[in-house]
Amino acid sequence: MAQPTATEIGRVVEFLQQDREDVKLNDVMDLAERMAQSLDEAVATTDKMLHAEFRSIAEQISSLKREIRDLRPDQFRFERIPEAGRELDAVVESTQDATETIMAAAEAIMAADASDPAAYKALVDDKMIVIFEACSFQDLTGQRIRKVVKTLSWIDERIESLAQRLNLAETGPAEAVEESEDERRMRELMLNGPQMKGQGVSQSDVDDFFSMSDQEDIDKLFD
Amino acid sequence: MALDLSMPILVVDDYKTMIRIIRNLLKQLGFEDVDEASDGTEAFAKMKDRRYGLVISDWNMEPMTGYELLKHVRADTSLAKTPFIMVTAESKTENVIAAKKAGVNNYIVKPFNAQTLKGKIEAVFND
Repeated sequence: MAQPTATEIGRVVEFLQQDREDVKLNDVMDLAERMAQSLDEAVATTDKMLHAEFRSIAEQISSLKREIRDLRPDQFRFERIPEAGRELDAVVESTQDATETIMAAAEAIMAADASDPAAYKALVDDKMIVIFEACSFQDLTGQRIRKVVKTLSWIDERIESLAQRLNLAETGPAEAVEESEDERRMRELMLNGPQMKGQGVSQSDVDDFFSMSDQEDIDKLFD
Repeated sequence: MALDLSMPILVVDDYKTMIRIIRNLLKQLGFEDVDEASDGTEAFAKMKDRRYGLVISDWNMEPMTGYELLKHVRADTSLAKTPFIMVTAESKTENVIAAKKAGVNNYIVKPFNAQTLKGKIEAVFND
């Protein structure tokens, strides 16, 4: 609640400082009237402040709604992300199909009887064509992945733009989020997944490590 | 330890195509008795039923990873000496060190070729 102003307090003090030996009903009513006037002014001031605050909050909410509308969340939810998911599913499927075709051809060549050179060559030629045809999947998967990358860039641009307009970058680092069960499993079991080229260790590094016969050298790695 | 081409080998991977690739490479190297499991739990159960001469395992599988399988195998007195090669895309230093510490015999980083697989199998049995 707002504090009474100096003027309001002054009025009450002035009234009480007067010589009041025989306080009558009118005096009490006079005091009550002065108190009521003081309260009216305090409420009026508080009301104005609250009104201004609420109007400011309402404007900020309207602005946020405009920013979110500009972000076109429906496009995210119902178009772009599901479409990217379908593209990636198609990549997995066509890669799987091609791998299956190529492996079946290679296994047929491995199992072929080479005692009849002419028949063996015909079979190898036939399977080689099948392998070449299957490799065409790479063209399609490349196109599909480029579409997914484009979608991710589209989303990234919009989120970046929203963050800039709302000055989110100036609010400091995000608060730590509690680790999920899945994240805990991945950390404890060192499920890091494939590393990018140039990151992680190479087979040669691994071989060097496994060739260490001196226990002290190995122990140093755990220090 | 001599390399015995007739020894049973257990290949553990949750990706069927990878099992098929390793099985074919092993076949090219002369190994005919190749069994498979899709995760550590299934592999450990199979190892309790049959004595394998070599285990070739992926790392990232559910519910039991290859790393957990390795630790289970080394903790089981009847299986502890089974040669174990990790074949995995996990190529962070911490993975290689942890596997070595847990007692893996060798470590192959995916993608790999037939020559690497052959070399590591020979290295395990020549130690």
